[in-house]
Amino acid sequence: MSFVTVMFYFFEAVAALAGLSLVFVRNVFYGALLLIVCLLSIAAIYILAFAEFVAVTQILIYAGGVLVVIIFGVMLTAKISGRPLVVKHSNLFGGILASGSLLLLLSYFILEQNFQAQQNDIVPNNPAINSIGFGLMTDFVLPFEVAGILLLIALIGAAVIASTIKSKKI
Amino acid sequence: MVSFIVSGRISEKYSWAVTFVAPLFLLVSALSAGYVFYTIWGDQPYVVQWSWFTIGDTNLSAGIYLNNISALMVLIVTLISFLVHVYSTGYMAGDEGITRYFSMLGFFTFAMLGIVLADSLLLVFVFWEMVGFASYMLIGHWKDKPEAAAAASKAFLFNRIGDAGFLIGLMLIWTNTGTFDLAELAKVQDIYSWQTTASLCLFCGVMGKSAQFPLLTWLPDAMEGPTPVSALIHAATMVAAGVFLLARVDFLFTPTALDVIAIVGIITACMAALSALVQSDIKKILAYSTISQLGLMITAIGAGSSAAAMLHLFTHAFFKAGLFLCAGIVIHVLHQAQQQAHTHFNVQDIRNLGGLRKKLPFTFVAFILSGSALAGLPFFSGFLSKDAILTAIAGWKGSDFSWRWIVFIAAFIVSFITVIYTFRMIWTVFMGEEKSTASLPVVEPPLVMRGPVALLAIASVWLIVSVNPFHYHGWIFNVLHSGKHFDLGIISFISVLWITLAVATSYFIFRKKTISSELLLNNFYLDKLYTSAIGKPSLRLASMVSFVDRKCIDGFIHVSAYAQVTTAHFIGWFDRAIVDGTVNGIASLSRVAGNMTRSFQGGKIQLYILWAILAIIIFLIWTLF
Amino acid sequence: MFPIHHFLLLAAFLFCAGLLVIIVKRNAIMVLLGIELMLNASNLNLVAFNQLHPAQLGGQMFALFVIIVAVCEAAVGLAIVLRIYQYYQTSVPDEISELRDS
Repeated sequence: MSFVTVMFYFFEAVAALAGLSLVFVRNVFYGALLLIVCLLSIAAIYILAFAEFVAVTQILIYAGGVLVVIIFGVMLTAKISGRPLVVKHSNLFGGILASGSLLLLLSYFILEQNFQAQQNDIVPNNPAINSIGFGLMTDFVLPFEVAGILLLIALIGAAVIASTIKSKKI
Repeated sequence: MVSFIVSGRISEKYSWAVTFVAPLFLLVSALSAGYVFYTIWGDQPYVVQWSWFTIGDTNLSAGIYLNNISALMVLIVTLISFLVHVYSTGYMAGDEGITRYFSMLGFFTFAMLGIVLADSLLLVFVFWEMVGFASYMLIGHWKDKPEAAAAASKAFLFNRIGDAGFLIGLMLIWTNTGTFDLAELAKVQDIYSWQTTASLCLFCGVMGKSAQFPLLTWLPDAMEGPTPVSALIHAATMVAAGVFLLARVDFLFTPTALDVIAIVGIITACMAALSALVQSDIKKILAYSTISQLGLMITAIGAGSSAAAMLHLFTHAFFKAGLFLCAGIVIHVLHQAQQQAHTHFNVQDIRNLGGLRKKLPFTFVAFILSGSALAGLPFFSGFLSKDAILTAIAGWKGSDFSWRWIVFIAAFIVSFITVIYTFRMIWTVFMGEEKSTASLPVVEPPLVMRGPVALLAIASVWLIVSVNPFHYHGWIFNVLHSGKHFDLGIISFISVLWITLAVATSYFIFRKKTISSELLLNNFYLDKLYTSAIGKPSLRLASMVSFVDRKCIDGFIHVSAYAQVTTAHFIGWFDRAIVDGTVNGIASLSRVAGNMTRSFQGGKIQLYILWAILAIIIFLIWTLF
Repeated sequence: MFPIHHFLLLAAFLFCAGLLVIIVKRNAIMVLLGIELMLNASNLNLVAFNQLHPAQLGGQMFALFVIIVAVCEAAVGLAIVLRIYQYYQTSVPDEISELRDS
């Protein structure tokens, strides 16, 4: 069992544990931190799956961007509502039933399938980041631009929605 | 080429927003219709098709099928509709529902154009229903009036009955030929037994829409709607749709079906003509006259000459629209005058009217022109088209005596009665002494209302059909008529004589009536000797005339009225017991289901998600295992 | 290369955990966290399947775009949550019962 294999299963276990404890944790702040742990270990798994660029993006955007925003959101709402950030649970039975049966279904089908690689063990020689750059500018240029516009729209929309200044026209 | 449909649609949309743009768009569509008419007329049919939708292997196409008949109808529909739009801007001015009114008017026209242009029977049926709906909305336009609402539902119900027949006919045609396409149906030449049934079912739909014999009572009730709507319904769109459909699918009809159609048509014509004689509401007289003219058209189709029917439809569209718009003017100006003078009486009742020729000279002239066309006086368009119908029936009846002769004679009687009631109307409304209207400050309506009326009245003269005022083989008939050329010069001669006789009769009857009543009036306070010498004969004459009126005609009318009332009761019972019962059952069922599902909807988003996920899981298990 | 089943099982597990978080937690921000978790689980699937076709970049590209969309979703979602706090003074989605039939 090589070091890489150990790393892989370690990170898988960390991600699974973080995801599971996210269910049981009662504090929103802890929940956000657990999500960071989970996402970081997923980023490590990405690296082990030869997707370095996605991993870097994951760390940058999720750990650096989204989670910061979420933590800010937690703090802001806590300040407004003034209540402790303890979250109650509801629908526990129905939720466990739904997600449990979904998990059973999914694992059944995943274990039943036999996925085979078409070209076995062909690891691309050039770094994946290089080819991703080329791909983004050639084959995927339209989705790329659309994603940029989407980001801009989301930025403006979030700013407008969250702004507390009431415009006098409305 | 297809642009006029587009403009029809645009006009429909625009009238929502800007009511006064609607006539403009109708003008555009009328012009383009004129262009289309000019291109198509006398040429080969023009067909455009595109795929509509597919069910299984069955490909249903939608498209346009323009031949001579439909080109003519397009012209009529857009032209009359345009004039009615223009007129309505004056008539409906100030009405609060004017936007709704104009949008429905545009929709009505659009649906009618759809019927005219559709290339398959299924499409025709769709537009047919749209016409029914639009007429429902328009008849019930003044929805606060209970009579209007009742009349609208009545019209709708009667149309439903007919449409059921139409639908059955459609199914029969589909199962037997597998196509709704008119061009392909026309190729079915053999006579099959199903064709009789199918065509009679189609005719059932026509009965509802064109107010034929069993289903005719909705049309007079529909007079509760605004008068321009009546003009549109009667002249160009709704009732004409039935006749047009018959003319469109006349290749489907077997001889048996044609006989039935002819009989129904002539019965309708007779009944409606007799009813028109005794009505006192000016719009109802016109309504009954429409029914009787439609009966004549149907009879002509039954006699195998759809060309004659279309010719009469064409001329009838103009003069009947003219008559209705004239009646609308009378009603409108009297209403306004009443509001100024603060009096109130029923302005539609011709017994209250009289002597309006001095106050409304323009309307009087227009009414005379259109009315003469309706009566079928020589030198008017109605004469020629009626002549065509009579000739067709004469050719159809054969030389041996059979029941067809009765139809023939009845057609003549109908045209006779037509003259009588037309002139009764003209006399009572415009001639004689002013009665209730004497003190009213009546003025002629604005130009937007007079213009269409003038156009329509001018269109009632013979020149529009053919150059020769005694011969109907003008430019319309020759193109429409494809079969053998059947011509009886004697018929037109006879009908000239006959109609002159009728005019004379009506003139004398009604002149006598007015004179005698004058005499009676004078006798009471002038001279007793005069009474015994001249008054008594005239009194006797008057009472004889009124006796004939009361006993013979009224009796017949009463019998038919009772029959109709019985039918109506039966239909009402059917409605209440079965239709309402079903509806209530479905309603309570849905209420139970609604209460059940209501409990799911607690406004809790997470519960919604839970239910959705559970449903997906169940679905997955269901499909994958 | 690791067996692809392990990726997929982890992804399925994270997906169900995120679903459970969404359903169970009575706090809007926790619901958003659950959504992020589910999105990441699906992303893991994409990256895992991309291993089967290393010459093609479709899976990784898709993962990138999913991340972008997730960012947008998180930003707008958080803005909406803040707004709702200001408006209703509550953090529990169940207490906002505008969708309920009265």
